[in-house]
Amino acid sequence: MRIGIESINFYGARAVLDIRMLFEVRELDMRRFDNLMLVRKSVALPCEDPVTLAVNAAKPLIEAMSAEDRARIELVIVGTESGIDFGKSMTTYVHHYLGLGRTCRLFEIKQACYGATAALQMAVGFVASQASLGAKALVIGTDIGRATIRGSYVEPSQGAGAVAMIVGDEPDVFELDFGANGYHGYEVMDTCRPAADIETGDSDLSLIAYLDCLEHSFAEYARRVEGADFFETFDYLAFHTPFPGMVKGAHRMLLRKLRGTSPAEAEADFDRRVTPSLRFCAEIGNIYSATVYLALCGLIDGADLFQPRRIGVYSYGSGCCGEFYSGVAGPGARTSFKGAALSAALADRYVLSMPEYEQLLDAGLDWVFGVKDQEVDLAPYRNLYDQTLAGRGLLVLKGVRNYHREYDWS
Amino acid sequence: MNVPMDPESQRILEIVKANLLEVVFDLNPDDIVPESNMTDLGANSIDRVEVVMYASEALQVNVPTVELHGASTLADLVEIFKRHTSDRSR
Repeated sequence: MRIGIESINFYGARAVLDIRMLFEVRELDMRRFDNLMLVRKSVALPCEDPVTLAVNAAKPLIEAMSAEDRARIELVIVGTESGIDFGKSMTTYVHHYLGLGRTCRLFEIKQACYGATAALQMAVGFVASQASLGAKALVIGTDIGRATIRGSYVEPSQGAGAVAMIVGDEPDVFELDFGANGYHGYEVMDTCRPAADIETGDSDLSLIAYLDCLEHSFAEYARRVEGADFFETFDYLAFHTPFPGMVKGAHRMLLRKLRGTSPAEAEADFDRRVTPSLRFCAEIGNIYSATVYLALCGLIDGADLFQPRRIGVYSYGSGCCGEFYSGVAGPGARTSFKGAALSAALADRYVLSMPEYEQLLDAGLDWVFGVKDQEVDLAPYRNLYDQTLAGRGLLVLKGVRNYHREYDWS
Repeated sequence: MNVPMDPESQRILEIVKANLLEVVFDLNPDDIVPESNMTDLGANSIDRVEVVMYASEALQVNVPTVELHGASTLADLVEIFKRHTSDRSR
Protein backbone atom coordinates (compact mmCIF):
# COMPACT_ATOMS: atom_id res chain seq x y z
CA MET A 1 0.00 0.00 0.00
CA ARG A 2 1.30 3.44 -0.94
CA ILE A 3 0.84 6.19 1.66
CA GLY A 4 1.92 9.80 1.80
CA ILE A 5 1.22 13.33 0.65
CA GLU A 6 -1.22 13.61 -2.24
CA SER A 7 -1.03 17.40 -2.51
CA ILE A 8 0.68 20.23 -0.64
CA ASN A 9 0.37 24.02 -0.52
CA PHE A 10 1.57 26.90 1.64
CA TYR A 11 0.38 30.38 2.50
CA GLY A 12 3.13 32.88 3.25
CA ALA A 13 1.00 35.87 4.29
CA ARG A 14 0.74 39.12 2.30
CA ALA A 15 3.26 41.48 3.90
CA VAL A 16 7.01 41.13 4.16
CA LEU A 17 9.94 42.71 6.00
CA ASP A 18 13.55 42.99 4.84
CA ILE A 19 15.81 41.34 7.41
CA ARG A 20 18.88 43.50 6.73
CA MET A 21 16.80 46.60 7.39
CA LEU A 22 15.53 45.11 10.66
CA PHE A 23 19.12 44.41 11.76
CA GLU A 24 20.16 47.95 10.94
CA VAL A 25 17.24 49.64 12.67
CA ARG A 26 17.49 47.44 15.77
CA GLU A 27 21.29 47.92 15.76
CA LEU A 28 21.90 44.18 15.91
CA ASP A 29 25.35 42.70 15.27
CA MET A 30 25.64 42.43 11.48
CA ARG A 31 27.98 39.43 11.81
CA ARG A 32 24.91 37.49 12.89
CA PHE A 33 23.00 38.62 9.81
CA ASP A 34 25.19 36.53 7.50
CA ASN A 35 24.83 33.56 9.82
CA LEU A 36 21.02 33.66 9.56
CA MET A 37 20.97 33.33 5.75
CA LEU A 38 17.49 34.88 5.81
CA VAL A 39 16.48 37.48 3.23
CA ARG A 40 12.96 38.47 4.24
CA LYS A 41 10.24 37.34 6.62
CA SER A 42 6.49 37.26 6.25
CA VAL A 43 4.43 39.38 8.62
CA ALA A 44 0.78 38.73 9.44
CA LEU A 45 -1.68 41.60 9.75
CA PRO A 46 -3.64 41.75 13.03
CA CYS A 47 -6.72 40.49 11.18
CA GLU A 48 -4.81 37.29 10.36
CA ASP A 49 -4.45 34.53 12.96
CA PRO A 50 -3.36 30.87 12.88
CA VAL A 51 -6.86 29.91 11.68
CA THR A 52 -6.87 32.25 8.68
CA LEU A 53 -3.33 31.20 7.71
CA ALA A 54 -4.33 27.54 7.91
CA VAL A 55 -7.50 27.99 5.86
CA ASN A 56 -5.72 30.11 3.25
CA ALA A 57 -3.09 27.38 2.86
CA ALA A 58 -5.61 24.54 2.63
CA LYS A 59 -8.35 26.14 0.52
CA PRO A 60 -6.63 25.70 -2.87
CA LEU A 61 -6.07 22.01 -2.12
CA ILE A 62 -9.70 21.45 -1.17
CA GLU A 63 -10.96 23.34 -4.23
CA ALA A 64 -8.79 21.20 -6.51
CA MET A 65 -10.39 17.97 -5.21
CA SER A 66 -13.48 16.30 -6.64
CA ALA A 67 -16.58 16.41 -4.45
CA GLU A 68 -16.22 12.67 -3.99
CA ASP A 69 -12.61 12.91 -2.75
CA ARG A 70 -13.43 15.89 -0.56
CA ALA A 71 -16.11 13.87 1.16
CA ARG A 72 -13.49 11.25 2.03
CA ILE A 73 -11.55 13.65 4.29
CA GLU A 74 -12.33 11.98 7.59
CA LEU A 75 -9.53 13.46 9.67
CA VAL A 76 -8.31 17.05 10.06
CA ILE A 77 -5.36 17.79 12.35
CA VAL A 78 -3.78 21.19 12.91
CA GLY A 79 -0.29 21.25 14.40
CA THR A 80 0.47 24.60 16.04
CA GLU A 81 2.18 26.33 18.93
CA SER A 82 0.06 29.47 18.47
CA GLY A 83 -3.12 28.19 20.12
CA ILE A 84 -6.13 30.45 20.56
CA ASP A 85 -8.08 28.45 23.17
CA PHE A 86 -7.16 25.91 25.86
CA GLY A 87 -10.12 23.64 25.10
CA LYS A 88 -11.67 24.26 21.69
CA SER A 89 -9.24 23.30 18.96
CA MET A 90 -8.72 25.70 16.06
CA THR A 91 -9.29 22.72 13.76
CA THR A 92 -13.04 23.16 14.24
CA TYR A 93 -12.85 26.65 12.70
CA VAL A 94 -10.60 25.41 9.89
CA HIS A 95 -12.98 22.53 9.13
CA HIS A 96 -15.97 24.91 9.09
CA TYR A 97 -14.49 27.53 6.76
CA LEU A 98 -13.24 24.87 4.37
CA GLY A 99 -16.76 23.45 4.17
CA LEU A 100 -15.72 19.87 4.90
CA GLY A 101 -18.08 17.01 5.71
CA ARG A 102 -19.07 16.08 9.24
CA THR A 103 -17.93 12.46 9.17
CA CYS A 104 -14.62 13.71 10.34
CA ARG A 105 -12.26 13.57 13.33
CA LEU A 106 -11.12 17.06 14.38
CA PHE A 107 -8.30 17.91 16.74
CA GLU A 108 -5.22 20.00 17.32
CA ILE A 109 -1.69 18.79 18.16
CA LYS A 110 0.98 20.63 20.12
CA GLN A 111 4.66 19.75 20.37
CA ALA A 112 6.36 23.02 19.39
CA CYS A 113 7.79 22.85 15.88
CA TYR A 114 7.32 19.07 15.74
CA GLY A 115 3.51 19.54 15.76
CA ALA A 116 2.89 19.16 12.05
CA THR A 117 5.08 16.07 11.86
CA ALA A 118 3.18 14.54 14.77
CA ALA A 119 -0.01 15.34 12.83
CA LEU A 120 1.35 13.87 9.60
CA GLN A 121 2.46 10.65 11.26
CA MET A 122 -0.94 10.26 12.97
CA ALA A 123 -2.62 10.77 9.61
CA VAL A 124 -0.33 8.22 7.96
CA GLY A 125 -1.19 5.74 10.70
CA PHE A 126 -4.91 6.40 10.16
CA VAL A 127 -4.69 5.81 6.40
CA ALA A 128 -2.45 2.75 6.84
CA SER A 129 -4.86 1.18 9.34
CA GLN A 130 -7.47 0.93 6.57
CA ALA A 131 -10.08 1.19 9.29
CA SER A 132 -11.96 3.40 6.85
CA LEU A 133 -10.79 2.20 3.46
CA GLY A 134 -9.86 5.02 1.07
CA ALA A 135 -10.31 7.78 3.64
CA LYS A 136 -8.05 10.84 3.47
CA ALA A 137 -6.68 13.29 6.02
CA LEU A 138 -5.97 17.00 5.94
CA VAL A 139 -2.87 17.97 7.93
CA ILE A 140 -1.91 21.61 8.53
CA GLY A 141 0.97 23.29 10.31
CA THR A 142 0.23 26.96 11.12
CA ASP A 143 2.07 29.46 13.29
CA ILE A 144 2.80 33.11 14.02
CA GLY A 145 5.78 34.41 16.00
CA ARG A 146 4.98 36.36 19.16
CA ALA A 147 5.41 40.12 18.81
CA THR A 148 6.79 40.72 22.28
CA ILE A 149 10.45 40.05 21.64
CA ARG A 150 11.29 43.17 19.66
CA GLY A 151 15.00 43.80 19.49
CA SER A 152 16.07 40.25 20.30
CA TYR A 153 17.99 37.99 17.96
CA VAL A 154 14.92 35.80 17.59
CA GLU A 155 12.84 38.59 16.06
CA PRO A 156 14.51 38.51 12.60
CA SER A 157 13.64 34.84 12.08
CA GLN A 158 10.04 34.94 13.34
CA GLY A 159 7.71 34.51 10.38
CA ALA A 160 4.03 33.82 9.79
CA GLY A 161 2.48 31.18 7.56
CA ALA A 162 1.02 27.72 7.14
CA VAL A 163 1.51 24.56 5.11
CA ALA A 164 -1.40 22.22 4.29
CA MET A 165 -1.22 18.63 3.03
CA ILE A 166 -3.72 16.04 1.90
CA VAL A 167 -2.62 12.60 3.13
CA GLY A 168 -3.91 9.43 1.54
CA ASP A 169 -3.22 6.31 -0.49
CA GLU A 170 -2.50 8.15 -3.77
CA PRO A 171 0.71 9.95 -2.71
CA ASP A 172 1.65 11.59 -5.99
CA VAL A 173 3.66 14.33 -4.26
CA PHE A 174 5.63 12.48 -1.57
CA GLU A 175 5.34 8.74 -0.93
CA LEU A 176 6.58 7.89 2.54
CA ASP A 177 8.93 4.98 3.18
CA PHE A 178 6.47 3.34 5.54
CA GLY A 179 8.10 2.37 8.84
CA ALA A 180 11.36 4.13 7.98
CA ASN A 181 11.22 6.48 10.96
CA GLY A 182 13.73 7.21 13.71
CA TYR A 183 12.54 9.30 16.62
CA HIS A 184 14.09 10.62 19.79
CA GLY A 185 12.45 12.64 22.57
CA TYR A 186 13.00 13.70 26.16
CA GLU A 187 12.27 16.56 28.57
CA VAL A 188 14.38 19.66 28.12
CA MET A 189 13.55 23.38 28.62
CA ASP A 190 15.03 24.94 25.50
CA THR A 191 12.33 27.18 24.01
CA CYS A 192 8.74 27.64 25.06
CA ARG A 193 5.64 29.84 25.06
CA PRO A 194 4.72 29.84 28.76
CA ALA A 195 2.13 32.61 28.39
CA ALA A 196 0.03 33.85 25.50
CA ASP A 197 2.32 36.78 24.80
CA ILE A 198 5.69 35.28 25.66
CA GLU A 199 8.07 33.33 23.47
CA THR A 200 11.32 32.66 25.25
CA GLY A 201 14.12 30.17 25.76
CA ASP A 202 17.78 29.38 25.60
CA SER A 203 19.03 29.41 22.01
CA ASP A 204 22.25 27.55 22.87
CA LEU A 205 20.37 24.76 24.60
CA SER A 206 17.90 24.61 21.73
CA LEU A 207 20.68 24.19 19.19
CA ILE A 208 22.25 21.48 21.33
CA ALA A 209 18.92 19.64 21.65
CA TYR A 210 18.27 20.04 17.90
CA LEU A 211 21.67 18.48 17.13
CA ASP A 212 21.29 15.79 19.76
CA CYS A 213 17.90 14.73 18.38
CA LEU A 214 19.24 14.83 14.82
CA GLU A 215 22.10 12.54 15.71
CA HIS A 216 19.99 10.10 17.69
CA SER A 217 16.93 10.05 15.45
CA PHE A 218 19.08 9.36 12.40
CA ALA A 219 20.93 6.63 14.36
CA GLU A 220 17.54 5.05 15.13
CA TYR A 221 16.47 5.39 11.49
CA ALA A 222 19.71 3.65 10.43
CA ARG A 223 19.11 0.90 12.97
CA ARG A 224 15.67 0.22 11.52
CA VAL A 225 16.43 0.64 7.83
CA GLU A 226 18.91 -1.90 6.58
CA GLY A 227 21.77 -0.36 4.63
CA ALA A 228 20.75 3.24 5.36
CA ASP A 229 23.62 5.65 4.84
CA PHE A 230 23.30 9.37 5.42
CA PHE A 231 25.56 10.14 2.46
CA GLU A 232 24.23 7.64 -0.08
CA THR A 233 20.57 6.96 0.72
CA PHE A 234 19.11 10.44 0.26
CA ASP A 235 19.22 12.56 -2.88
CA TYR A 236 17.94 15.57 -0.94
CA LEU A 237 17.37 16.64 2.64
CA ALA A 238 14.62 18.77 4.20
CA PHE A 239 15.35 19.90 7.76
CA HIS A 240 13.34 21.93 10.23
CA THR A 241 14.64 25.41 9.41
CA PRO A 242 14.38 27.99 12.20
CA PHE A 243 16.83 29.88 9.98
CA PRO A 244 18.87 28.44 7.10
CA GLY A 245 22.21 29.15 8.82
CA MET A 246 21.25 26.81 11.65
CA VAL A 247 20.52 24.00 9.21
CA LYS A 248 23.87 24.61 7.58
CA GLY A 249 25.66 24.32 10.94
CA ALA A 250 23.69 21.22 11.96
CA HIS A 251 24.34 19.53 8.63
CA ARG A 252 28.07 20.30 8.85
CA MET A 253 28.32 18.96 12.38
CA LEU A 254 26.38 15.77 11.64
CA LEU A 255 28.63 15.00 8.66
CA ARG A 256 31.67 15.64 10.81
CA LYS A 257 30.42 13.26 13.47
CA LEU A 258 29.37 10.53 11.05
CA ARG A 259 32.39 10.53 8.77
CA GLY A 260 34.85 13.26 9.79
CA THR A 261 33.84 15.25 6.71
CA SER A 262 35.88 18.42 6.12
CA PRO A 263 34.11 21.80 6.12
CA ALA A 264 34.69 22.15 2.36
CA GLU A 265 33.15 18.73 1.60
CA ALA A 266 30.24 19.54 3.90
CA GLU A 267 29.68 22.83 2.09
CA ALA A 268 29.53 21.06 -1.29
CA ASP A 269 27.11 18.47 0.07
CA PHE A 270 24.98 21.21 1.63
CA ASP A 271 24.80 23.10 -1.68
CA ARG A 272 23.81 19.96 -3.55
CA ARG A 273 21.33 18.28 -1.19
CA VAL A 274 20.02 20.99 1.17
CA THR A 275 20.15 24.40 -0.51
CA PRO A 276 17.17 23.71 -2.83
CA SER A 277 15.01 23.22 0.28
CA LEU A 278 15.72 26.75 1.55
CA ARG A 279 14.21 28.90 -1.20
CA PHE A 280 10.90 29.53 0.57
CA CYS A 281 12.28 29.34 4.13
CA ALA A 282 14.73 32.19 3.37
CA GLU A 283 11.81 34.30 2.13
CA ILE A 284 9.20 33.60 4.83
CA GLY A 285 11.21 32.99 8.02
CA ASN A 286 10.47 30.50 10.75
CA ILE A 287 6.88 29.30 10.69
CA TYR A 288 7.50 26.85 13.51
CA SER A 289 5.44 23.65 13.12
CA ALA A 290 5.09 24.23 9.37
CA THR A 291 8.72 25.07 8.65
CA VAL A 292 10.00 21.60 7.82
CA TYR A 293 7.16 21.24 5.27
CA LEU A 294 8.04 24.63 3.80
CA ALA A 295 11.51 23.11 3.27
CA LEU A 296 9.86 20.12 1.59
CA CYS A 297 7.92 22.54 -0.66
CA GLY A 298 11.26 24.13 -1.58
CA LEU A 299 12.57 20.76 -2.73
CA ILE A 300 9.42 19.96 -4.69
CA ASP A 301 9.76 23.28 -6.45
CA GLY A 302 13.52 23.44 -6.92
CA ALA A 303 15.05 19.97 -6.84
CA ASP A 304 15.74 17.82 -9.87
CA LEU A 305 12.68 15.55 -9.76
CA PHE A 306 12.76 14.32 -13.35
CA GLN A 307 13.12 10.88 -11.83
CA PRO A 308 12.10 9.62 -8.38
CA ARG A 309 14.34 11.03 -5.64
CA ARG A 310 14.56 9.92 -2.03
CA ILE A 311 14.30 12.77 0.48
CA GLY A 312 15.42 12.56 4.11
CA VAL A 313 13.26 14.70 6.41
CA TYR A 314 14.34 15.89 9.85
CA SER A 315 11.72 17.45 12.11
CA TYR A 316 12.49 18.93 15.53
CA GLY A 317 10.26 20.49 18.17
CA SER A 318 11.55 22.09 21.36
CA GLY A 319 10.83 20.43 24.59
CA CYS A 320 11.77 18.09 22.84
CA CYS A 321 11.05 15.56 20.11
CA GLY A 322 12.93 14.91 16.88
CA GLU A 323 12.20 12.57 14.01
CA PHE A 324 14.12 11.54 10.92
CA TYR A 325 12.11 9.83 8.19
CA SER A 326 12.15 9.52 4.43
CA GLY A 327 10.04 9.30 1.31
CA VAL A 328 10.20 9.56 -2.45
CA ALA A 329 9.17 12.46 -4.69
CA GLY A 330 9.20 12.19 -8.45
CA PRO A 331 7.95 13.92 -11.59
CA GLY A 332 4.34 13.70 -10.36
CA ALA A 333 5.13 15.95 -7.39
CA ARG A 334 5.11 19.08 -9.52
CA THR A 335 1.86 18.30 -11.31
CA SER A 336 -0.30 19.55 -8.47
CA PHE A 337 2.21 21.81 -6.68
CA LYS A 338 1.72 25.39 -7.87
CA GLY A 339 5.33 26.46 -7.43
CA ALA A 340 5.30 29.28 -9.97
CA ALA A 341 2.11 30.81 -8.58
CA LEU A 342 3.40 30.51 -5.00
CA SER A 343 6.70 32.17 -5.91
CA ALA A 344 4.76 34.94 -7.66
CA ALA A 345 2.59 35.42 -4.55
CA LEU A 346 5.70 35.79 -2.40
CA ALA A 347 7.16 38.33 -4.81
CA ASP A 348 3.85 40.20 -4.69
CA ARG A 349 3.87 40.66 -0.89
CA TYR A 350 3.67 44.24 0.36
CA VAL A 351 7.12 45.44 1.45
CA LEU A 352 6.79 47.00 4.91
CA SER A 353 8.76 49.99 6.13
CA MET A 354 9.95 49.80 9.73
CA PRO A 355 7.27 52.25 10.97
CA GLU A 356 4.58 50.15 9.24
CA TYR A 357 6.02 46.98 10.76
CA GLU A 358 6.07 48.53 14.25
CA GLN A 359 2.51 49.73 13.73
CA LEU A 360 1.37 46.20 12.90
CA LEU A 361 3.12 44.79 15.97
CA ASP A 362 1.46 47.41 18.17
CA ALA A 363 -1.98 46.76 16.68
CA GLY A 364 -1.53 43.01 17.15
CA LEU A 365 -0.90 43.46 20.87
CA ASP A 366 -4.56 44.41 21.33
CA TRP A 367 -5.49 40.84 20.47
CA VAL A 368 -4.62 39.26 23.77
CA PHE A 369 -5.37 35.62 24.41
CA GLY A 370 -8.81 35.13 25.94
CA VAL A 371 -10.42 38.32 24.61
CA LYS A 372 -14.18 37.98 25.03
CA ASP A 373 -15.66 40.65 22.77
CA GLN A 374 -13.76 42.71 20.22
CA GLU A 375 -14.20 43.89 16.66
CA VAL A 376 -11.23 44.04 14.31
CA ASP A 377 -10.45 47.72 13.75
CA LEU A 378 -8.82 48.10 10.36
CA ALA A 379 -8.46 51.87 10.69
CA PRO A 380 -4.83 51.94 11.92
CA TYR A 381 -3.69 49.88 8.94
CA ARG A 382 -6.48 50.39 6.39
CA ASN A 383 -4.03 51.21 3.61
CA LEU A 384 -2.05 48.02 4.25
CA TYR A 385 -5.22 45.94 4.36
CA ASP A 386 -6.43 47.39 1.07
CA GLN A 387 -3.13 46.65 -0.63
CA THR A 388 -2.58 43.15 0.76
CA LEU A 389 -5.85 41.38 1.54
CA ALA A 390 -8.87 43.29 0.22
CA GLY A 391 -10.69 41.60 -2.65
CA ARG A 392 -8.46 38.54 -2.72
CA GLY A 393 -10.94 36.04 -1.31
CA LEU A 394 -8.72 35.19 1.64
CA LEU A 395 -10.06 34.40 5.09
CA VAL A 396 -9.68 37.22 7.64
CA LEU A 397 -10.69 37.66 11.25
CA LYS A 398 -13.67 40.02 11.73
CA GLY A 399 -14.01 39.90 15.49
CA VAL A 400 -14.68 37.89 18.63
CA ARG A 401 -18.16 37.65 20.13
CA ASN A 402 -18.52 35.93 23.51
CA TYR A 403 -15.16 34.20 22.89
CA HIS A 404 -16.31 32.89 19.51
CA ARG A 405 -14.08 33.94 16.62
CA GLU A 406 -15.85 35.19 13.52
CA TYR A 407 -14.21 35.24 10.14
CA ASP A 408 -15.07 36.42 6.65
CA TRP A 409 -13.62 36.35 3.15
CA SER A 410 -11.67 39.46 2.19
CA MET B 1 42.22 36.26 41.46
CA ASN B 2 43.26 33.75 38.81
CA VAL B 3 43.93 30.25 40.07
CA PRO B 4 46.81 28.59 38.14
CA MET B 5 45.67 25.64 36.03
CA ASP B 6 47.17 22.17 36.38
CA PRO B 7 49.12 20.88 33.32
CA GLU B 8 46.26 18.74 32.00
CA SER B 9 43.79 21.63 32.19
CA GLN B 10 46.33 23.88 30.51
CA ARG B 11 46.74 21.33 27.69
CA ILE B 12 42.96 21.15 27.17
CA LEU B 13 42.66 24.93 27.24
CA GLU B 14 45.29 25.27 24.51
CA ILE B 15 43.33 22.83 22.30
CA VAL B 16 40.06 24.70 22.88
CA LYS B 17 41.83 27.98 22.19
CA ALA B 18 43.34 26.73 18.93
CA ASN B 19 39.92 25.60 17.68
CA LEU B 20 38.28 28.82 18.77
CA LEU B 21 40.83 30.78 16.73
CA GLU B 22 40.07 28.56 13.75
CA VAL B 23 36.29 28.99 13.95
CA VAL B 24 36.04 32.66 14.95
CA PHE B 25 37.92 35.01 12.68
CA ASP B 26 39.68 38.19 13.80
CA LEU B 27 40.18 36.99 17.35
CA ASN B 28 43.19 38.15 19.36
CA PRO B 29 44.79 35.09 21.04
CA ASP B 30 45.68 37.24 24.05
CA ASP B 31 41.98 37.89 24.68
CA ILE B 32 41.33 34.19 25.23
CA VAL B 33 41.71 33.43 28.93
CA PRO B 34 40.06 30.78 31.15
CA GLU B 35 37.50 33.30 32.34
CA SER B 36 36.49 34.14 28.76
CA ASN B 37 32.98 33.50 27.60
CA MET B 38 32.84 32.33 23.97
CA THR B 39 29.82 34.52 23.25
CA ASP B 40 31.68 37.61 24.43
CA LEU B 41 34.53 36.63 22.13
CA GLY B 42 32.17 36.76 19.17
CA ALA B 43 31.24 33.08 18.75
CA ASN B 44 27.61 32.46 17.80
CA SER B 45 25.74 29.38 18.99
CA ILE B 46 26.80 27.29 15.99
CA ASP B 47 30.42 28.41 16.37
CA ARG B 48 30.39 27.39 20.02
CA VAL B 49 29.11 23.89 19.35
CA GLU B 50 31.57 23.55 16.49
CA VAL B 51 34.53 24.55 18.67
CA VAL B 52 33.52 21.90 21.19
CA MET B 53 33.16 19.28 18.47
CA TYR B 54 36.62 19.94 17.02
CA ALA B 55 38.17 20.03 20.49
CA SER B 56 36.44 16.72 21.31
CA GLU B 57 38.02 15.19 18.24
CA ALA B 58 41.47 16.49 19.14
CA LEU B 59 41.11 15.18 22.70
CA GLN B 60 39.60 11.91 21.44
CA VAL B 61 36.65 12.11 23.80
CA ASN B 62 32.97 11.83 23.02
CA VAL B 63 31.10 14.34 25.16
CA PRO B 64 27.31 13.96 24.95
CA THR B 65 26.01 17.16 23.34
CA VAL B 66 23.56 17.89 26.16
CA GLU B 67 26.36 17.83 28.75
CA LEU B 68 27.88 20.94 27.20
CA HIS B 69 25.06 23.18 28.23
CA GLY B 70 25.84 25.23 31.28
CA ALA B 71 29.52 25.71 30.50
CA SER B 72 29.61 29.50 30.52
CA THR B 73 33.37 30.05 30.54
CA LEU B 74 36.29 28.29 28.88
CA ALA B 75 37.34 27.09 32.34
CA ASP B 76 33.94 25.37 32.72
CA LEU B 77 34.41 23.72 29.36
CA VAL B 78 37.91 22.59 30.26
CA GLU B 79 36.50 20.98 33.40
CA ILE B 80 33.94 18.99 31.37
CA PHE B 81 36.60 17.81 28.94
CA LYS B 82 38.95 16.97 31.78
CA ARG B 83 36.31 14.75 33.38
CA HIS B 84 35.97 12.82 30.13
CA THR B 85 39.70 12.50 29.47
CA SER B 86 40.24 11.19 33.00
CA ASP B 87 37.30 8.74 32.61
CA ARG B 88 39.01 7.40 29.51
CA SER B 89 42.34 6.90 31.26
CA ARG B 90 40.79 4.86 34.08
